[in-house]
Amino acid sequence: MAASLSSPLTSASSVLFSSSNYPSLPSFSPSQRLCFSHSALSSSYSVSPALFTFPSPRLSATAAVSFSVRAATASGEKKKVLIVNTNSGGHSIIGFYFAKELLGSGHNVTILTVGEEGSDKMKKPPFNRFSEIVSAGGRTVWGDPPEIGKVLAGETFDVVLDNNGKDLDAVRPVADWAKETGAKQFLFISSAGIYLPTEEPPHVEGDAVKGSAGHVGVEKYMAETFSNWASFRPQYMIGSGNNKDCEEWFFDRIVRNRPVPIPGSGMQLTNISHAKDLSSMLTLAVEKPEAASGNIFNSVSERAVTLDGMAKLCAKAAGLPVEIVHYDPKAIGVDAKKAFPFRNMHFYAEPRAAKEILGWQGTTNLPEDLKERFEEYVKIGRDKKTMAFELDDKILEALKVPAAV
Amino acid sequence: MARMVPLQQQTTHPGFSLLTSSLSDFNGARLHSQLQFKRKMGLQNRGALQVSASSSSKNILIMGGTRFIGIFLSRLLVKEGHQVTLFTRGKAPIAQQLPGESDQDFADFSSKILHLKGDRKDSDFVKTSLSAKGFNVVYDINGREAVEVEPIIEALPNLEQFVYCSSAGVYLKSDLLPHSEVDAVDPKSRHKGKLETESFLESTGVNWTSIRPVYIYGPLNYNPVEEWFFHRLKAGRPIPIPNSGIQMTQLGHVKDLAKAFITVLGNEKASKEVFNISGEKYVTFDGLARACAKAGGFPEPELVHYNPKEYDFGKKKAFPFRDQHFFASIDKAKHVLGWKPEFDLVEGLTDSYELDFGRGTFRKEADFSTDDIILGKSLVTA
Repeated sequence: MAASLSSPLTSASSVLFSSSNYPSLPSFSPSQRLCFSHSALSSSYSVSPALFTFPSPRLSATAAVSFSVRAATASGEKKKVLIVNTNSGGHSIIGFYFAKELLGSGHNVTILTVGEEGSDKMKKPPFNRFSEIVSAGGRTVWGDPPEIGKVLAGETFDVVLDNNGKDLDAVRPVADWAKETGAKQFLFISSAGIYLPTEEPPHVEGDAVKGSAGHVGVEKYMAETFSNWASFRPQYMIGSGNNKDCEEWFFDRIVRNRPVPIPGSGMQLTNISHAKDLSSMLTLAVEKPEAASGNIFNSVSERAVTLDGMAKLCAKAAGLPVEIVHYDPKAIGVDAKKAFPFRNMHFYAEPRAAKEILGWQGTTNLPEDLKERFEEYVKIGRDKKTMAFELDDKILEALKVPAAV
Repeated sequence: MARMVPLQQQTTHPGFSLLTSSLSDFNGARLHSQLQFKRKMGLQNRGALQVSASSSSKNILIMGGTRFIGIFLSRLLVKEGHQVTLFTRGKAPIAQQLPGESDQDFADFSSKILHLKGDRKDSDFVKTSLSAKGFNVVYDINGREAVEVEPIIEALPNLEQFVYCSSAGVYLKSDLLPHSEVDAVDPKSRHKGKLETESFLESTGVNWTSIRPVYIYGPLNYNPVEEWFFHRLKAGRPIPIPNSGIQMTQLGHVKDLAKAFITVLGNEKASKEVFNISGEKYVTFDGLARACAKAGGFPEPELVHYNPKEYDFGKKKAFPFRDQHFFASIDKAKHVLGWKPEFDLVEGLTDSYELDFGRGTFRKEADFSTDDIILGKSLVTA
């Protein structure tokens, strides 16, 4: 039923307390509540996550885990990290922010972007800002995953992140090469889209996933291949340097005084996180490898937002009014996937594993973040750009709503 | 779904779970957590509860305690060896045998539970009677207004802890969810008395803890939450749900809530803190209807969605939940207290069904009048 992953019981992080032991070791246990080895779960002893004192929001994430046992692996060591990055799509931004954050923390970073440096794809953000990675001391290279051994001949890394493949075919060459060259930690950007729909949100780590999903195949392979691996399941992201529209979709309509057509009731909850929440989570995993090992992390912010709510927040950030119009895509004969950038259903995960196991805390603050995003939107002149809204017009026509508010 | 199996599931007895969650902080040296640990091990044999010599038995007052939460809480406290007094007007018996509770357990409980009869709105009486008894700890389960708490605080200057049952209803409605303890509250909400009580407690300097449940459910629920669905399922009627049915809410089992109340007792991490207490997962209205059907062994129900604005129900409530998203994160309680819910939704609803509605008991008679208004009209427009 649940396509849950067994963490190898031999890994250091899989020490689950048998019912006869009082948890005197603070190490890795609470993760097991979310990690899926069935025999480990047969212990009826409720492992107390209070071992990790939950800080008030004012305290820093690292202060949350204040145990001396952890000191050797906590932020002291500098790592050599390889990021294999996709060359397009919503996940592109992850590698960009992660590289910069690692560099800021003093780690050594190489980012291998799929394809060619000269391709048209590289003219779009975040790729057209890769000079920022270089000036921060990072290295940028290009190539294809099956050629990784050639592109990075003779190199070894402590940590390899695959932020490119959506299935095992795409990731295997990278994973195998990482293993051969002795990478100690393998990380993968998966997707929260693999969770099976549920009537009891949110999606939490350990919930059933779609067995056929390519990412699931990768997660299984990682667990078999590496003694230290972690998978990160993101949803939607905002942030400067984003390759794929998110909030822009709302701004486009709001600044042009057009109604915002939202399918369904508008009550659907989703998770829209600032990319820096993802980079901070990934960085924590690099700096706390034993804690992170064998775990899946929902890489999302701490709050979900409704679709209507997102429209309202975008309008507020723009200082403009908004008219939201709801419609039934089937009744109108419109493909909601083309007409609207978010899933027409609750798509809502929570970052419980990261909070509990890594002591991570989110900083996404949509009301504030969207103000910054709107400033940039205007700065680049997108508010003045001529745009067509064919699908919107079709929807509004069917609903007999005027196109200009 | 990978989930810890609650201990009570390992027996077929649907009775009352005596599980207490383990409280621990890293050093594990705290007396209280050791007591909990020993007790937990002892609990493998239900009823063989040992109170170790190192426990400090407290003189505890519960305001209320005969209706729902307090019924379960008082039993846990008595089992832990505390002296427990219920302050009630005496309208309901102080001790009533619970469905599934053994005669032995009930006899033990009823021989130990104490009663202080009075009206809490009579502040002079509250003040004099409480100061005479000198309680160490007060659990205020039924307080609604700050004025009701004043005489309690005045009467007990050496009070060790005041634990208040507040409500997640105090949170300001938001498009950004879940509600967390740090979120904005709504000074105009229906629950503003709870908010004012929390502020009052803070102002007195007393060691207070506030618990904010969302929707509470479980056997003996007097709020028609699950009962509302069970009545319709039993009658084989369609279930009318306002608007989209994807509104998200959250239910917390009363036994898990009672455990949370125990977990904060004598716990310095709970001092002057607020905790949301409810279930691990949220649920849509549609999902809840189906979960209730599963719990009661009913076939999947027909759901009828309607626009409430098209109807006039007079004073009657057509649906027992707020027509909005309403759910809160329990992460703080899990991380700080080490508490977590034992029941997931279907398990909890099954517990409620097997011990209450399924035995033919309920609090409110079925009233399908608003359903008929909805169904009548929807049949016409169909």
